[in-house]
Amino acid sequence: MVLSCFIILLLTLNPPEGIVAGEESSSLFFLHYHGLLVGPEGTCFEGGVFPAVMTFPPDYPLSPPKMRFTCEMFHPNIYPDGRVCISILHAPGDDPMGYESSAERWSPVQSVEKILLSVVSMLAEPNDESGANVDASKMWREDRAQFDKIAHQLVRKSLGL
Amino acid sequence: MRLLALSAVSVALTSAVVGHGFYQKQQFYPTVVYLTKSSPSLAVLYLQAFVCALILGKLIRKIFFGQLRAAETEHLIERLWYAVTETCLAFTVFRDDFSPRFVALFTLLLFLKCFHWLTEDRVDYMERSPVISWLFHIRALTLFILLAAADLGLIVHAYHSVVSRGASVQLVFGFEYAILLTMVLTVVFKYILHSIDLRSTNPWENKAVFMLYTELCTGFIKVILYVAFMAIMIKIHTFPLFAIRPMYLTMRQFKKAATDAIMSRRAIRNMNTLYPDATPEELQSTDNVCIICREEMTTGAKRLPCNHIFHTSCLRSWFQRQQTCPTCRMDILRTQGPAQPRADAARPPAPPAPPPPPQAVAQPAPPQPNLPPGMVPPFPGLFPLWPPWVPQAGPMPIPPAADATNAQVNSFGAPVTGTAPTPQAGTTEAGTAPATRSFSSGFPEFPGFPPHPPPPFLMPGLVPPQMLGLPPMPPPPDDLSGLSEEELREMEGQERRHLQARVECLRNIQTLLDAAVVQMQQYSALVVTLGMPGSSVPQSDTSHPSAASTSAMAQDGTITTSSKPATSLNDDTEGTSEVGAGATSPGAVGEDDPSSEPDTSELRRRRLQRLQNPAIQ
Repeated sequence: MVLSCFIILLLTLNPPEGIVAGEESSSLFFLHYHGLLVGPEGTCFEGGVFPAVMTFPPDYPLSPPKMRFTCEMFHPNIYPDGRVCISILHAPGDDPMGYESSAERWSPVQSVEKILLSVVSMLAEPNDESGANVDASKMWREDRAQFDKIAHQLVRKSLGL
Repeated sequence: MRLLALSAVSVALTSAVVGHGFYQKQQFYPTVVYLTKSSPSLAVLYLQAFVCALILGKLIRKIFFGQLRAAETEHLIERLWYAVTETCLAFTVFRDDFSPRFVALFTLLLFLKCFHWLTEDRVDYMERSPVISWLFHIRALTLFILLAAADLGLIVHAYHSVVSRGASVQLVFGFEYAILLTMVLTVVFKYILHSIDLRSTNPWENKAVFMLYTELCTGFIKVILYVAFMAIMIKIHTFPLFAIRPMYLTMRQFKKAATDAIMSRRAIRNMNTLYPDATPEELQSTDNVCIICREEMTTGAKRLPCNHIFHTSCLRSWFQRQQTCPTCRMDILRTQGPAQPRADAARPPAPPAPPPPPQAVAQPAPPQPNLPPGMVPPFPGLFPLWPPWVPQAGPMPIPPAADATNAQVNSFGAPVTGTAPTPQAGTTEAGTAPATRSFSSGFPEFPGFPPHPPPPFLMPGLVPPQMLGLPPMPPPPDDLSGLSEEELREMEGQERRHLQARVECLRNIQTLLDAAVVQMQQYSALVVTLGMPGSSVPQSDTSHPSAASTSAMAQDGTITTSSKPATSLNDDTEGTSEVGAGATSPGAVGEDDPSSEPDTSELRRRRLQRLQNPAIQ
């Protein structure tokens, strides 16, 4: 409780660049936290504003939160349903892709800003080794122009154009 | 809203179908026959039953759970999909006894499963909801009783039907309800633990341990149930495909719980026994925020071997998940070895350390806790530098050359010894070290006297460096009042050892000096005798053998009286040295020398006379 308040305060007072800290959550104890991510400059997601929700487990600092984009996304490391697949959000032990070293996994030291920054950098540089979205991975690797086109469409959609 | 529409549609359809049948048949019994015979009306009736079940479920949920939370709904739907898939798989296995009754039983099973899951979620939620009302407790308790009763009743029913009518699909239900019963058991245990935790004002540290063991026990029961079910099913029926997934999950969960229990036990034991409590100074010197809970640490903090500090309670719950340092991910269990010496290093260095080679002891500062493992603990009150030849002189261990240079660096680097005498000593030693090393390698048995004495002409070259190598005055040791009783006692022991070594060295020096005096006298005597050949060769030829012969004659008489230090000399040395030593006072030689040089005959006469004198004495 104290923790979540702390995070919210921290994010609203001092948000990292490219991240718009969102408002409160629907549930009682800020276990769901909504925010907006700004697509990093110089990438195909530039200019987009993507809503996402971060879900904190009851044993939060000991277990990683989950992050899910609530808008449509097309990215090698985002599942079609919007769940984000990055190693920093995986607890050591369960390895969905079987390639991550435990050094880059979740630990209580990781903060919410670090997660958000990781997600933003993931938007900029997808890791096509671990395809959460296989179609997107394949397209990213083989047909970059088409991928960029889809990404631009998503950006436009996210801006309501 | 969708449910409302669905139920409205189903009710409309049912009433239409029933109305149509009744309108056609006009009587009750033919209408029922008609409805059960026509497939479309049967489908409508099934739909109606399903909707009724749904509404009943909603009603029970409303009574026992109130409004479901978003996470609960999500969780429920996710699990429901798996359960439905498995039920369909079960239908394929039991397609022979497929009947409406069978479907109804499976629906009931699903129905009960849903409530078990919801109860589990609800009890988990207890942990993080601040206020638990009486309503919650009443609901939970009645739910437990109802679910357990339903499970038990259905298990008994399944058992009786299997016993009376042989193995059938009832076997599956029996096992399913047994599994659900263990689930209720787990949930009840968790509920009790959470309730105890809620009652106490401060957090209950051992709760997680009990939770882990609860999970371990029920996991074990579940695994046994699944294995037994698998074995029986394969024996009497076919391979139960639908049970594979839950069985695998259960086994994995059990294995995880077992390893977690073992590893966390080990890590927590390590934490309690090996790792020191963080001192207030340590807490103040660093940012004293526990990285796990982000609250300030005042008491109850532990320092890991990697020097990271956390709350003990936070560490305990983290170790139940992983046995690494949260900050640097150092494996706590794998680094047990280094952890031990480090814990020791916090205390003053242990006494059994070998007597340090004096050269390495260059820091008159109190022992420092964090020493590199190879370094000998520095000790106060020792000479910053010892004469370089000392290590070879006695039973002292010979330090490797690297150690000596290390000590040099150390003495320069240390702020206390960076005074005037030390650098000077350092340079002299650096200069003389190679010479003494070659010297010592030439004469390995230095302690007494070399069995073969160095030829006299070597001595002048060797002596001066040794003189230069004498130690400068050591800087006074630091304040000793700051040392503890234990440290002082330990220092006393080490000091005594050093003192013994020093006295031994001083004695060696004395022997050496005495020997040097003897050799100098011998040398001067030789110069006196050999100085002659420069002027007249033939006469020296005659004088030299005569001196040797006379010395041999005089040996018996002089050896006991005049050569105290040279007791260990061998005969050859004595033979030559006695020539000089026989002249009782060096002063007499020096006095005679200048006068004797001009006249050889006079000299020879005097010498003969002198040599005869001791014999007379």
